[in-house]
Amino acid sequence: MSDFSFLLKGVQGITPQILVMWVIGGLLIFLAIKKDMEPALLLPMGFGAILVNIPFSGVLNSDMANGIIEWLFNVGIHAAEAMPLLLFVGVGAMIDFGPLLSNPKMLLFGGAAQLGIFITVILAVLLGFPLKDAMSIGVIGAADGPTSILVSQQLKSTYMGAIAVAAYSYMALVPIIQPITIKMVTTKKERLIRMPYNPKQVSRTTRILFPIIVTLISGLIAPDSVALVGFLMFGNLLRECGKLESLSQTAQGPLANLVTIFLGITIAFQMRADLFVNWGTLIVMVLGLFAFILDTVGGVLFAKLINLFLPKEKKINPMVGGAGISAFPMSARVVQKMAVKEDPENFVLMHAVGANVAGQIGSVVAGGIILSLASSLL
Amino acid sequence: MSNFLLGSMFQSLMGPVESESLWGALELLLKGMGGILLVMLLIFFVIVILNKAFSRQKKEQDSEEK
Repeated sequence: MSDFSFLLKGVQGITPQILVMWVIGGLLIFLAIKKDMEPALLLPMGFGAILVNIPFSGVLNSDMANGIIEWLFNVGIHAAEAMPLLLFVGVGAMIDFGPLLSNPKMLLFGGAAQLGIFITVILAVLLGFPLKDAMSIGVIGAADGPTSILVSQQLKSTYMGAIAVAAYSYMALVPIIQPITIKMVTTKKERLIRMPYNPKQVSRTTRILFPIIVTLISGLIAPDSVALVGFLMFGNLLRECGKLESLSQTAQGPLANLVTIFLGITIAFQMRADLFVNWGTLIVMVLGLFAFILDTVGGVLFAKLINLFLPKEKKINPMVGGAGISAFPMSARVVQKMAVKEDPENFVLMHAVGANVAGQIGSVVAGGIILSLASSLL
Repeated sequence: MSNFLLGSMFQSLMGPVESESLWGALELLLKGMGGILLVMLLIFFVIVILNKAFSRQKKEQDSEEK
């Protein structure tokens, strides 16, 4: 009689931590499908979490063979952060910087709304995280998945999986997190401020030169940001040049979709039970929430600060400052919805969109600056 | 007192809080936000210049066409 014990090898390898990861994977899939929370990333991450947490899983390297998910991680993320950067080409091709170019003062809110990143770094350090992990956790506040993944990977954070899950989960929760936060730090009178929209005409030459010049400026001040900013702006240049419509559509569609399919499942490599199931992961999730909240607060408070120096008819609705986070276009829509709820004739959408796209620039610059400073601080 | 400024300051949830890490985080806050605002200001001025330069060109082209 043959020994059939090899059939029980997998079952015998199940541990409580593995069961926890199966539940987490299932939860991510549930949130993606039932609650429509960032399904493009949470579903692959959830399924990938299950794949990598099956005992002796064939998707991971073994003595016998290389595993596909481990290979995808080594090639697509570990080697040169290819997947997040390629996704950024698609993101850049999707973004219309017109509302920002016609109303450039919104750039300042895109910068101010990154404050949460740095305050979260301090909080993480005070909780005992090593600085490299604290910096990686802080970048959740960039509200940008590829930036969070890239920075945590380059800093070799042990919490990369948790950081990716937190970044994408909270991006999906912006419609819940932001209204509560904004109401806490603004008065009704402030939320009722109307902002007339008189956009300047933006020439095609400006639209073409903008991505090139932004890359140069960011790259000269923070050279480590060139990959992030450069690929984002490359995608935007494909869109704005007017000569490469098919490439622009490919970047926005098939490229972005292909990379998204594999990015989520590849990130799951960092969701192995031995890496993920610990108190640190839970604290990372809480700190990530703080980062989002503090980002919103930073943008709003900056708007209120600016208002101190502006005449009554030129005051800025502080909610627009809250739209300076990188969660595009959700944050802009949230702010517009809040404004209309207070005053049905208050249309701040285009200002909010300007701040929101500025936040996209601010977040990648923040990621690049963190990487630039990391070499001297670590 | 010397431990407060150098080395381990106190024990926290995830481990000891190193003063070097805390100073590093504070330095990151100052330099990071300063760097971001500098970049955003530079981009702001560039956009203003581009808008002035090329919208004037656009208006001249439009009036020539008329």
